Amino acid sequence: MDEARATRLVEAVLRCYPARWRRRHGQEAAELAALLIRDGTPAGSIAWSYLAGAAREWLTPRPGRRLSTLACALLVAAGSLGISAGLLASTVPAKAAVTSPALRPAHGQPGPLEPAGVIPALGRPRVISQEARHGRSR
Amino acid sequence: MAVSGRDGRAGQDVLRRVGEASVLILISLADGPKHGYALIHDIKALAGVELGPGTLYGALDRLERLGLIEPLPADDRRHPYRITAPGAAALRVHLDSLERVSAAGRLRLRLGGI
Repeated sequence: MDEARATRLVEAVLRCYPARWRRRHGQEAAELAALLIRDGTPAGSIAWSYLAGAAREWLTPRPGRRLSTLACALLVAAGSLGISAGLLASTVPAKAAVTSPALRPAHGQPGPLEPAGVIPALGRPRVISQEARHGRSR
Repeated sequence: MAVSGRDGRAGQDVLRRVGEASVLILISLADGPKHGYALIHDIKALAGVELGPGTLYGALDRLERLGLIEPLPADDRRHPYRITAPGAAALRVHLDSLERVSAAGRLRLRLGGI
């Protein structure tokens, strides 16, 4: 890796640190990385060390960092996970067009599209998992 | 939470849980102030350990929070650090503790005939 690319890599990783840390150590850390690269230390190992340091910096509770900030970050992370899970779940019923009321036959008349495996209490057709299985097998 | 000078003299090994990098940094600073690049080179020479720059800054911040080292006015972009009196006391206590453990280990090896 040439020096310019190595410097760009380290600079990108240094941006992962909190702003407070960058204000304090940012310039010195970039200069230290440049010196170490010149000494022959692989840029990848320097970048990895800074990346691990940035993760530690974010995860270590600081007196200046308010608990509410950490709580918000956790809530956002949990919310993102929840939304992702929700989106994943919602794509599956969308495939099960047979559950749509418009396609259902009149009450009491067995129709060809009536899903045999609907669990009434959950409203979730069992056929979904079979579809999913078909999808995977392809 | 900073460590006071008395903590070191009271015999509490406050360095037991700070990690090897922090102890090596204190040992390196024991003979005078150094900045990051000099610390990395000195620690490599004295202990054969290559400190990653991310590890170095994490340890420096922790030691400073504990009051065991302090930054000196910046020299260009480099910030030299020096060991404080509580830092020196804590290092002495920790090295004494390591010496006791080391002596006990050697004695047991002799007793065991290994």
